[in-house]
Amino acid sequence: MSTQISPAGPVPAGPHPTPRLRRRNPQRPAWEEPPSFLGQLGKGTALTLLVLAVLFPMWSVVVTSLASRETINDTGGMVVVPREIDLSAYFSIFSGGTITQAVWISTLVTVAGTTVSLALTVLAAYGLSRPGSVAHRGLLFLFLGTFLIFPGLVPSYLVVTGLGLKDSLWSLILPSAISVFNLVVIRAFFMNVPGELLDSARIDGAGEFRILWTIMLPLSRAVIAVVGLFYAVGYWNAYFNSVLFIDDNSKFPIQRVLQSYILAGQSPNVSGSSISLPGVTAYPPTLAVKMAVVVVTVLPAVIAYPFVQRHFTKGVITGAVKG
Amino acid sequence: MTPSQPGASTDRRTVLRLIGLGAAATMGGSTLAGCSKEVGSQGSATQADAIKAVLPTYKAADLLPPDIPGEGPIPSGYLKYPTELVDAVTEQPGRSGQQVRAISPWWGPTPPANDRNEYMQAINAKLGVEMVVSVQDGNTYADKLNAMLGARDVPDLLCVPNWEVDKIARFSDATKALFEDLTDYLQGDKAAAYPYLAALPTGSWEYCVWGGRLYAAPFPTDGPFAWTLFHRKDLIDKAGYGTPTTIEELYEFGKKATNANQGVWAFGTVFDMVQQFYGCNQTWRKKADGGLEHKYETAEFTAALEFTARLFAEGMVHPDTVASKGADEKQLFSAGKILMYQDGMGAWQGMQGEQAKVTPGFNMQPLPFFGVNGKDAIVWGSEKPVFYTFVKKDLGKERVEELLRVMNWCAAPFGSREFELREYGVEGKHFTRAADHSPIPTDQFRKEFAGQVNSLGGRPPIKIRSGDTPNYAQEYIDFHKKFIGLREPELFAGIKLELPANWSKVLQPTDDKIRDILRGRRPLTDMDQVTKEFLSTGGEEGRAFHEKALSDNGR
Repeated sequence: MSTQISPAGPVPAGPHPTPRLRRRNPQRPAWEEPPSFLGQLGKGTALTLLVLAVLFPMWSVVVTSLASRETINDTGGMVVVPREIDLSAYFSIFSGGTITQAVWISTLVTVAGTTVSLALTVLAAYGLSRPGSVAHRGLLFLFLGTFLIFPGLVPSYLVVTGLGLKDSLWSLILPSAISVFNLVVIRAFFMNVPGELLDSARIDGAGEFRILWTIMLPLSRAVIAVVGLFYAVGYWNAYFNSVLFIDDNSKFPIQRVLQSYILAGQSPNVSGSSISLPGVTAYPPTLAVKMAVVVVTVLPAVIAYPFVQRHFTKGVITGAVKG
Repeated sequence: MTPSQPGASTDRRTVLRLIGLGAAATMGGSTLAGCSKEVGSQGSATQADAIKAVLPTYKAADLLPPDIPGEGPIPSGYLKYPTELVDAVTEQPGRSGQQVRAISPWWGPTPPANDRNEYMQAINAKLGVEMVVSVQDGNTYADKLNAMLGARDVPDLLCVPNWEVDKIARFSDATKALFEDLTDYLQGDKAAAYPYLAALPTGSWEYCVWGGRLYAAPFPTDGPFAWTLFHRKDLIDKAGYGTPTTIEELYEFGKKATNANQGVWAFGTVFDMVQQFYGCNQTWRKKADGGLEHKYETAEFTAALEFTARLFAEGMVHPDTVASKGADEKQLFSAGKILMYQDGMGAWQGMQGEQAKVTPGFNMQPLPFFGVNGKDAIVWGSEKPVFYTFVKKDLGKERVEELLRVMNWCAAPFGSREFELREYGVEGKHFTRAADHSPIPTDQFRKEFAGQVNSLGGRPPIKIRSGDTPNYAQEYIDFHKKFIGLREPELFAGIKLELPANWSKVLQPTDDKIRDILRGRRPLTDMDQVTKEFLSTGGEEGRAFHEKALSDNGR
């Protein structure tokens, strides 16, 4: 090659025009230079604002959940400035049993679901990542086809009830057990593992399961952690499947109960008139109770996140950036 | 319309159509609620005569004569809680030992299941059969309903709110395919076997007829008015603003009461009430030539729109209401951040009782209706039942009779032990008694009660004085008696309408456009254009449909 290509692009020959921006080395791209003070200030402000935009609502939710009824009444809604710590909302939600039960159900579904999903996704991804496996191209297209064609509400309902899964916690796991997006991410990661490694294992007499277990999985810890987190958060937040498939109130997951608390007492929005509705509870939970349920719902994700965070960057860019 | 023969309709085509009914649902969950009506549905109307023929014979079941007798759709009032209750049902309704599965909507926290719910355990002991009621969130009921109907998977008893029925295309096909025809059990004097079902007002039974047959039991409304303008009488009296009695005074009140610096605004949502003050009909009114005129085409509506837009423009409406559909106006009103807002009458008792504990002197009252320009106000409303309860098809005669006995138990009127158990639970656990003997609910009641069996059999509508809202029953009934004369005549009373799809589809987008006009995002002059669009994309079709329904019934 005759022209030298720097990461910043081709460097023109001949004398340079005086650069307007202060650069120590004009051959280096801008992002390798130490940032200017103004640049840092701008970035810092923008990031602070972003963080505040996320933290402020959460702060308000927590403070409201700890506020007394009088404080909430004085502010007329969400509380921002804490005046006291009143735990009565938390005592109230945990004394009834419904929330505790729902947290338990959601935990169970999340743990079992994430395990099942990871196992299925990893197995499928491994099979589809090996060029020689049976019908892997056709199978991959079938998987990808689900991106385009959604099975539909009634057919899904018929399949789940037909399998006798209605009112079973499996109905919250099996219909969403494999996310094709996650499958593609793991497959891309597996494909990047050098074939020589696997060949050497084969020469040593390892079978496919052994290769998967002792070579692939340890190498893919980052992506599996991230996909596991995706699945876990997905199961924890899942709501709609339970509306369809779970009638038994003792098997409601936490999101379903959360929704019933948040919307409690609101008359349905019926075009043109409001209904004098006997079904609307005359005793909606207080705002503090509603927010306490929100806190309970959000907390596990907040706690789990830092543990997975170190794998996050590496795992997420897999498949997005190649080479 | 020719009434179809019951039973002859479970053919393949009906099944396919029913699945088609769910097909709209394949778009995904969140888009379902408003658009489950099948494209191309032309709607249908059942004639009033066909309906009259199948209704149960009404027989009042006042175990206790009311202190304030109701008139027409106005509920009866009781000012004392009886010290002696009677047994309304002497024979246990449940005999088969078979579980009864039911699904019922609820707008409140999920209750514990039967094994940890003493309220349901007490009810089941009385019923002699285990009721397993799945309490479903009322706000997402449409999604659940679409899946269930599409998959033909319904419980023994299914309670459906009237507005959900209105959204489902060709619901009469669904009733024939999935639900038991109750005509032979309840028609005429046969209803005497279920005395408390026979005591439900005939006006509400009329709506339970599909294709000329009786398919459901109603839960009659106890509030025949669609909207009420609530005001904080305590705060308004204290500030000396005076209760507005004319539209000008309402405007002046808005000027005086709004104080944004102190975080107080005069109004939340009020537009539906302003329309009524201006004498606007809810939808249609009859013209002199017999044709129908939609409210958007009337001068009254334009005037109401102008007035309300002015309230918005001059900053008298709370910013939350301006900003969003879902402003928590109840919370703002309770906190005194808004002084007036419109809501259903159903909001009154609960809020008054709860807030009186936190805010001494809390007093919310409905603003008396007044007319504009020398004309009377028109009060919107309907006798349409709030819920319908359907019985699953093909369960066999004995089982259907058992389920009807259960529904009869659930409809037991005031003055009976059954009523007390159903509405308040068990004494000592779910309620304590005030000095006047009336029940005061405990925390356990609030946790365990979710209207599980309340909507399954209806009840004769009544209002009872209670300890925490001592004036409520009297004020409620007085208000209704005072203004019932202004109620707009129900043009379509007794005619069962299944509306054309294009008509149902155009309502919400038009509402949204009007919201924009009110908030000043579009000029007032745009209303003509909005009306034109409304009429051309479904409004005219709706007009033709409604006019035909009237002329078919000789009205």
